Amino acid sequence: MHKEAAIREPLILGHKTYSDITEDVCRPIEGKAPKAWYIMFGISLLVGLYGIGCILYLLGTGIGTWGLNKTVEWAWDITNFVWWVGIGHAGTLISAVLLLFRQRWRMAINRSAEAMTIFAVFMAGLFPLIHMGRLWVGYWVMPIPNQFGSLWVNFNSPLLWDVFAISTYLSVSVVFWYIGLIPDFATIRDRAKGAVSKKMYGILSFGWSGRAKHWNRFELVSLVLAGLATPLVFSVHSIVSFDFATSVIPGWHTTIFPPYFVAGAVFSGFAMVQTLLLILRKGMKLEAYIHTKHVEYMNIVIMVTGSIVGVAYLTELFISWYSGVEYESYAFINRATGPYWWAYASMMTCNVISPQLMWFKKLRRSLLFTFFISIVVNIGMWFERFVIIVTSIHQDYLPSSWSMFYPTWVDIGVFLGTLGIFFAFYLGFARYFPVLAMSELKTILKISGESYKDGSAPTHDDHGGGGDSHTETAPVVEEKVAETVAPVVEEVAPAVEEKVEEVKAKLTDEEKSQRVSSLMEKLGAGDASNADDLKVISGVGPKMESTLNEIGIYSYEQVSKMTDNEYEMLDSITESFPGRAKRDDWAGQAKELMNK
Amino acid sequence: MGTNKKYWKGFEELQQTPEFLEKAQSEFPQELSVDEFLADDKVSEASTGRRDFLKFLGFSVAAATLAACEAPVIKAVPYVVKPEDVTPGVANWYASTFYDGANYASILVKSREGRPIHIKGNKDWGFTNGAVNPQIAASVLGLYNSARLDAPQTKDGTQVSWADADTAIASALKKAGNKKIVLISGTEISPSTQNAIVGFKAKYGGVDMPSMDMPAVEEAVVVEGEDVPTDAPAMPEMPEGNVIHVQYDAVSYNGIREANLESFGQRAIPDYDFSQAKVIVAVSCDFLNSWVLPTQFVGQYAQRRNPDGKWMSQHFQFETNMSQTGSNADYRGLIKPSQQGAALAYIHKGVGAGSVSGVDTASLDADTIEKLDLAIEALKAAKGKSLVVAGSNRKSAQVIANSINAHLNNYSGPINMNNPIMLHASQDEKMANAIKEMNGGKVAAVIMWNTNPVYTLANGEEFRTALANVGTSVSMSQYADETAVNCDYICPESHSLESWNDYAPKARTYALAQPTIRPLGDTRPVGESFLVWSGEAVHTGKDSTTWHNYVKGLWEQYGYPLQTKHASFNAYWNAMVHQSCDSGEGEPAASSQSFSGNLSAAGKDLGSITGGDFEVALYQKAGIGNGTHANNPWLQEMPDTVTKVTWDNYATMAYADIEAMGGETGLGQETPSTEVTVTVGDKTLTLPAYPQAGQAPGTIGIAVGYGRGAGAENIGKGAYQQSGMYGEASTTPIGQNAYVLVDNGDFDAYSASVSNTGNTYNLACTQTHSTVMARNSIVKETTLDTYTTAEPAAYNHKHVLHSGWNHDEKPVSEFDLWEGHPVEHVGHRWGMTIDLSSCIGCGSCLVACQSENNVPVVGKDEIRRGREMHWLRIDRYYSSDVEVAVGTRDPEEFATEGFSGLKKPSHNPKVVHMPMMCHHCNHAPCETVCPVAATTHSNEGLNQMAYNRCIGTRYCGNNCPYKVRRFNWFNYPSYRKFTEVNPAQDDLGRMVLNPDVVVRTRGVMEKCSMCVQRIQSGKLVAKKDDRMVKDGDVVTACADVCPTNAITVGDWNDETSAVRKSSEDKRSYQALEEIGVKPNIWYKVKVRNEVNADLAELQAEQAAHSASHGGDHGDEHGEEGHEEGGHDEAGHDDHGGH
Repeated sequence: MHKEAAIREPLILGHKTYSDITEDVCRPIEGKAPKAWYIMFGISLLVGLYGIGCILYLLGTGIGTWGLNKTVEWAWDITNFVWWVGIGHAGTLISAVLLLFRQRWRMAINRSAEAMTIFAVFMAGLFPLIHMGRLWVGYWVMPIPNQFGSLWVNFNSPLLWDVFAISTYLSVSVVFWYIGLIPDFATIRDRAKGAVSKKMYGILSFGWSGRAKHWNRFELVSLVLAGLATPLVFSVHSIVSFDFATSVIPGWHTTIFPPYFVAGAVFSGFAMVQTLLLILRKGMKLEAYIHTKHVEYMNIVIMVTGSIVGVAYLTELFISWYSGVEYESYAFINRATGPYWWAYASMMTCNVISPQLMWFKKLRRSLLFTFFISIVVNIGMWFERFVIIVTSIHQDYLPSSWSMFYPTWVDIGVFLGTLGIFFAFYLGFARYFPVLAMSELKTILKISGESYKDGSAPTHDDHGGGGDSHTETAPVVEEKVAETVAPVVEEVAPAVEEKVEEVKAKLTDEEKSQRVSSLMEKLGAGDASNADDLKVISGVGPKMESTLNEIGIYSYEQVSKMTDNEYEMLDSITESFPGRAKRDDWAGQAKELMNK
Repeated sequence: MGTNKKYWKGFEELQQTPEFLEKAQSEFPQELSVDEFLADDKVSEASTGRRDFLKFLGFSVAAATLAACEAPVIKAVPYVVKPEDVTPGVANWYASTFYDGANYASILVKSREGRPIHIKGNKDWGFTNGAVNPQIAASVLGLYNSARLDAPQTKDGTQVSWADADTAIASALKKAGNKKIVLISGTEISPSTQNAIVGFKAKYGGVDMPSMDMPAVEEAVVVEGEDVPTDAPAMPEMPEGNVIHVQYDAVSYNGIREANLESFGQRAIPDYDFSQAKVIVAVSCDFLNSWVLPTQFVGQYAQRRNPDGKWMSQHFQFETNMSQTGSNADYRGLIKPSQQGAALAYIHKGVGAGSVSGVDTASLDADTIEKLDLAIEALKAAKGKSLVVAGSNRKSAQVIANSINAHLNNYSGPINMNNPIMLHASQDEKMANAIKEMNGGKVAAVIMWNTNPVYTLANGEEFRTALANVGTSVSMSQYADETAVNCDYICPESHSLESWNDYAPKARTYALAQPTIRPLGDTRPVGESFLVWSGEAVHTGKDSTTWHNYVKGLWEQYGYPLQTKHASFNAYWNAMVHQSCDSGEGEPAASSQSFSGNLSAAGKDLGSITGGDFEVALYQKAGIGNGTHANNPWLQEMPDTVTKVTWDNYATMAYADIEAMGGETGLGQETPSTEVTVTVGDKTLTLPAYPQAGQAPGTIGIAVGYGRGAGAENIGKGAYQQSGMYGEASTTPIGQNAYVLVDNGDFDAYSASVSNTGNTYNLACTQTHSTVMARNSIVKETTLDTYTTAEPAAYNHKHVLHSGWNHDEKPVSEFDLWEGHPVEHVGHRWGMTIDLSSCIGCGSCLVACQSENNVPVVGKDEIRRGREMHWLRIDRYYSSDVEVAVGTRDPEEFATEGFSGLKKPSHNPKVVHMPMMCHHCNHAPCETVCPVAATTHSNEGLNQMAYNRCIGTRYCGNNCPYKVRRFNWFNYPSYRKFTEVNPAQDDLGRMVLNPDVVVRTRGVMEKCSMCVQRIQSGKLVAKKDDRMVKDGDVVTACADVCPTNAITVGDWNDETSAVRKSSEDKRSYQALEEIGVKPNIWYKVKVRNEVNADLAELQAEQAAHSASHGGDHGDEHGEEGHEEGGHDEAGHDDHGGH
């Protein structure tokens, strides 16, 4: 097992056990959805349906329902496409690249980020389809044999490369995501009570049994897919950028595009992950798993990629001047000072200035600020694509053809619609899928779980996955976690590392009571009315008996349930006789006494 | 061999068994009685099994479903009897003549399977030398206008038979008694119709007179030498009796006729020969577009605008509006309408003809004076070889112009008084009298044709009431137009493509028009109606040969004896029909005229004009003209030559004037123009204000010809605005009728006021940016002096790139990113050159292309969104103050003004017209990016579109540096938004479609194909003749129709071809050469015959620069990249300006 330095902030806060992880993740799936979910889902669905209506109108009437013209023949369609593809970058980066780099903090976010990726790529894929003048013959972009009545495709066209890149990316992402889901689906299946859900999750889990062989294959496939997906992270947006980079249009024809687009994609993808996760953790009470540290890590990624994007913007400007090419220079002068200066200014502000604020630790650890910036970044990235696409072509070589682009209600409707569909998908995912990778999280619990790090938990757990017996008590745990851990996190957030220690020291009383209650959960509640004489147990004196009674242990039955874990916990609570209970085997004695 | 072999089907046959023989006897071996079969009980007992039942059921359901899917039924009806001269798939060309009352040209009509589908000029015959204008090229569409009347009708719209109408009209005419019968028409130049009218007059006028056709002309020619003031030589006023024939044109040339009567004793418009004029000075005279006979002038003018010719003319224009002619001038001065007299008087004095008393020339501004002085110098140097033309319809202005021309002895050269032009014989006074008599109840009947006074008269209402006071009113209009709806009877005349006719456009020139299609409706020619009414002939239905026989008879009687070439009348007639006109031999030459005009009276008249704060100058647009063709959607959608606005008229105003009113000077899809009210006297028009560079300050230009059908008359869908989301037809006319502003005959209002209404109005402009931003690889121009003396490097800079470590200079053409297409030296390579010096921007090519290639009309709303579909457009660039010429940056100005200065056109800019269409790049950016290879390169150098393959990603359109690709945003052939404007919608309109070119569906790209259908047929012609393709075999529609021959097309690989030579000319360059797309289109540098010191200096520097740097050019520049091998983008240009 890997050891992680103690000074690193734990990745899982609170005294989570394996069982707790299962509980926390499965709870929303098994319970009833809150009202807020229905409201959000309803709104998303309505907006999505409106968008679908717009798309149907578009398909029925013609591309002319968009605001395009003879000069600007791509605008919102391809802007939205590139934007969504960019957003779809974070998931695979997190699951594949970070996996290869052994970044454990990815465990908490990869599942939902991958889901986001897939939904975003769906939305992205929609645009190249509906932007075609004749969608019904769109399958001609596939290299279909001639017998089918089609001709061969043009392999020179970057648009064709797009088809391959996006479809490969989508399929690998989906497979990768699904493979990771299988053990978790199995867990849900095992816990499911309803026949329908048992069946559904049974099908989804592909007969996973948790055998060593399954785990072995699971690990192997994950690694292979990570290896496959890693180059895709870089290829997809590089290829999308080729749509522009290989053209002759000033402002498009730029060799800097591939790295710049990839960085921009990661930038916007992480921003979208932030937006969604900050809502998700709050709504689903996952603060223990996705906490300030995760947010901070992602903010650092945003800061770095944002800086790359910023450098790219400035490089473009420099090169346009340095090239001495009239059209090239004018394209950039026009971007900054022409009729679309506001788009350029929005892009610069949102993408260059806002991520630089992340240099301040206080800001990058602030959840509210992060949420705000994550939205700003995505607005900025949308404008980046708009600026590249529209401001380059609206005034290109021949001034006679210069024109403007004005969106129509169909343009706007289709874009909003994809946002609606995206969120509807995502909310559905949050409702029916394990939003955290349970099995993966469990692998880091003992490395980076808070209680394991500060030594307050035993180094091994004999509870195994016996979570089922604890279902009844689960809500209690949840309450405690919510009461105790959440405030810790929230207060810690703006503080610096040293202060964390102080806060911890101060809170020992609270810690104590928390441990008492968690001990009591394990042992079951006792009652003074049917108290056994605990003094009979060797090693328990009158003082110890009263201490145990104070805690709430009254019966042999309770004592019999004690294990090493509870002994340790008890020791830490009573602060006396360390190791005594274990030495004397109180539990064994209590069992004997019970049976008498 | 093998003949003895015998084959048999079986042993029975081999052995010839009796059974076999018996069977072989009977054809049907078994008798099968149906009755017997049905009577068999077993049949009824037999039950269908369940499985069988299901099979049957399944089959029937499937079959019924399939049958329910309706497959479109396309009927192809073959000829039962093939017409002798129609071969399906092969076009017939008929020589004919176009005349609509204003425009005249010898034309060729293309007919496919009996349908006329295309009109172009006749290059072989006629003095128009193949020149047409957009109105003529587009007129073929008018034939298929479903609003044309197809039978006579009464005032309430009830259709009546010809017999009934004729009886009623004849009886009304007979009852005229002492009252008058008034005939009102546009200028009638048809000798046969005139002859028919003579007969009509004899019948109803109580005057018996001889037939007055061509002999009358002969007399006139004879009379010409004598000093007897006569009327128009061809048509001396005849005793009229009760029947008065008034010729009335929408645009009057009465002034010039009156002036010539006073100056030279002939009430005539002389013939002008612009090809003889070394110096042309035009004062408010749009002679390339609308003045007198532009179809003749354009070709003559262009002939001398070629800097490679023997000499190049110099053109001075002094005008108010930026006219098409003015946009082509070498020097252009700004004058207000009230200053026309001053400008003419200044010239008059300058050339030494003396000062004109009473005219104040002090009001002319310094810039104009400077240019007038230059003009005077030039005129003096070109005596007898110059032309001063004035567009004013004031007799006084024309008298001064006559005096100048007489003084310069131009009447023995470019101006020919001996062969006058017979067009535009409007008799303004006579018309005024006729209206008075009509109102006075003195007119029993009025018969009108080829005229629309209710619309074109300043006081159309007065004419409308006058019509009500007439006993019987008859119109022979093709449409129930503004005037016709007020008539008791409309007896529709046939379209000019449906009937025979003849014309005498000049005193000694005769032309024929022949029908190219059987009349679509039950209509008949005007002349035939007169013959019927005067009882000389009977109308025998659609196929009546009456008129044909009449015309032919007159030609036999009068035309045939005039010539000696043909031995028989049949030979003569066939030759005339074949040529459509006589060869113009025997036209009298010009001779000097002695001027006898009254200068002091003219000066007094002109001096009496005092200009107001604002003055209005009306003008005619190249597309809409006088409004006759306002219902033609091709013309409505044709961007105006200068403003590039479609589907509207507007008030052109100087930028400063609009700004002073707080109006909008920008143009854009969503930048609405400011609406202003223009008030002249008690008449007010509300129009959008268009910011016009080169508009004289304090003046307003308004095009006539708009606002047709204001009374909701049905004159065709194209004449009305569309309304609502789906562009439903409305009865709101397009634009405003500007004829109402000024009294009939005058085109200028000297006092007007203008105010901002505060409202806005969206104009549909195809080009919203005015300047070329000093981009010198798009437009190149130079001065004649530089062109003739300097190295080509001075004015036609070639781009070079630097390659390798040593920065070796290489021309762009040597860099290839892609493997070259093998077309450059193998087989054909179709190419085109366009001479910017010759192109006058008239737009004929655009209309011809639309007609040839079935380009859809999309309507105003779509144009406004920037979605016009024209395959060929004409870019119009103005110079800015930061440029010394269009496309050449002024470095000093740029240092202070920057790009914002470049965006603003100058106050009085130079103009370049640049036709732009698919460049058929050999390294086409569009081809590489199409994912499905729908656009590919042919092995003849064409960039071709496979519409069927196109999936509509529009990537090619974005990647086109010339932005010439057009996308089918909607289903133009059937989406309801376009059914109202697109002529190819209804069954009738579809007849105009060229069957050689497919109609594109929604969602596909389209663009100029270089008329690939014409290329194919040209190749076939050569193949049939067993020879190589030669010049003239392959001509695109645009090149074919170009009146100035600016476009040359041909096989570039043929080293002897005209296009090859033209492309290798020192003036030839390729637009955007430096991006390396290797187009098959070349432009030729525009040469202005002017002195432009700044430009000359810059170009001299450029030449010196390129000469001094041969090999080590790179030393001067630190910034170019190290380009190894393929690099086809502009690494660095070394042109001037840095």
